[in-house]
Amino acid sequence: MSEVLLQALGLGVELGGRRVIDGVSLTAAGGQTVAVVGPNGAGKTTLLRALSGLLPCSGELRVTNDRTYCAQKPFSAWDYRVRDLGEIVGDSAAFAVWLAKLGLAELGERRLTEISGGEQKCAHLAMALAVLPEPYGALLLLDEPTASLDLAKQAAVHQAIRACAQAGAACVVATHDLAFARRCDQVIVLSEGRLVASGHPNTTLTLEVIAAIWGAPDLTEA
Amino acid sequence: MTATKAFLAGFVLLAGLVVLALSVGAQGFGWGDGGSLVLLRAPRVLAALAAGLALGVGGAAQQGVFRNPLADPGLTGVFGGALFGIALLLGIFPEAAWQRAWCIPAAAFTGALATSALLVVLGGGGAASRLLLAGLGLNAFTAAGTLVIASRSGESRELLTNGAYGDWLGMATLELTWLPVLLTFFAAALLLTLARSLDLLSFGEDAARGFGCDVGRVRRNAVLLTALAAAAATCLVGQVAFIGLLAPHLARRFVGPRHAKVLPLSALLGAVLLLGADTIGRGLWPQAPLSAAAVTAVLGAPLFIWIARGRNE
Repeated sequence: MSEVLLQALGLGVELGGRRVIDGVSLTAAGGQTVAVVGPNGAGKTTLLRALSGLLPCSGELRVTNDRTYCAQKPFSAWDYRVRDLGEIVGDSAAFAVWLAKLGLAELGERRLTEISGGEQKCAHLAMALAVLPEPYGALLLLDEPTASLDLAKQAAVHQAIRACAQAGAACVVATHDLAFARRCDQVIVLSEGRLVASGHPNTTLTLEVIAAIWGAPDLTEA
Repeated sequence: MTATKAFLAGFVLLAGLVVLALSVGAQGFGWGDGGSLVLLRAPRVLAALAAGLALGVGGAAQQGVFRNPLADPGLTGVFGGALFGIALLLGIFPEAAWQRAWCIPAAAFTGALATSALLVVLGGGGAASRLLLAGLGLNAFTAAGTLVIASRSGESRELLTNGAYGDWLGMATLELTWLPVLLTFFAAALLLTLARSLDLLSFGEDAARGFGCDVGRVRRNAVLLTALAAAAATCLVGQVAFIGLLAPHLARRFVGPRHAKVLPLSALLGAVLLLGADTIGRGLWPQAPLSAAAVTAVLGAPLFIWIARGRNE
């Protein structure tokens, strides 16, 4: 078994006096992809922010320092050119490689306001990936990286995540895409800040859990 | 325009202005016997140049750290705080103020820093408008405080009123100028080292932290250095509006938004604008020069409206 890069035991987060995450435990090792799923407001973003050290949390959290976090809604106050983003994160070459892998190679000269929301999201993901000097032994925390992306870009992002995992990174991905979650090594199902189920997708994303959490049949089964 | 051309043009413009400013005086154009008038005018030119530089770089840094294109130490009360600090010193210890070269700069820095801290506490972390509203409140308070002290202290009354109108360049001497000028270059040089961090910060705190930026340290240093630049500028010229707002916008128009380029070009343009304004004020009305702040506002306001209109195009 690969090295464990993230271990959380009974994690709790309070925001504004409200317990937003309560008693969540998870483990991720190098080479693994972990999907964090749950309805809107379940605490996915809060959990990822806590894991990336952006929020103070209670419980036990052991996590590698070699980690990168990609926020859900990136927005820069200034209208940079896409190629500037590589220099801003300090590794233009790595940024260009990821940009090309995400299918945006020709956007380098465009300004952020001149590309679509989905393209901005991909560019932001390329920044987060370029921060990692080496995927091996690193922890990737991605908040809904495929929301608002077209099918081709979704596939490209999924491929990028798999590539990182194959290179030895642990990838924790908050997502609403249950089809993607089914292909992950582990799924964490959150509801109202609590862990509802965790483990292999086959044992977690069951019809019962899906009906209980979302109140709707699993469309991916059809 | 490429960045190189923009910087080159800025330097040429500034060099030309320095020569012009050294040649203009109450007796019209001329350098006097053996350049004696040049030596006499040099402190004022140096003061205008350094103060403009501080205004330009301070404005760019404050816009960067607050991620807000409307932030300007002039609008957010940091310059007001610096002047209020000087006013407090002159009001409470009128004799001590002039005994050491560092007394007035230290008072200005304390005032600017206190206002900056209040600005972070009252205006930070919320919507962009909250910062500006908090800043406007602080600005009004410090301006009122300065005027109250000015009206109560006989000796310093004229001095403080002139400061509030940005009319201190006329009293520039080498003794009064050297320390603020040094502080300006010190603050500007250190602010340049924060350029990439300010770029990262523009994506928001979470994203910046996710990319490995030490947000707290960058914020603290940027706020401290902006306060230092604001204090230095205030010691040299008094209160000047607009340059801190105008110079960064102008710079971004020429070289794009990267702070590594915006900070130095904004500093350069700030120096050009303030030195230009002071030279116009002295050149057109040699007997009763118009203050640099007045000229800046008269010329800067239309220029700013032109830039604001271009932003959405």
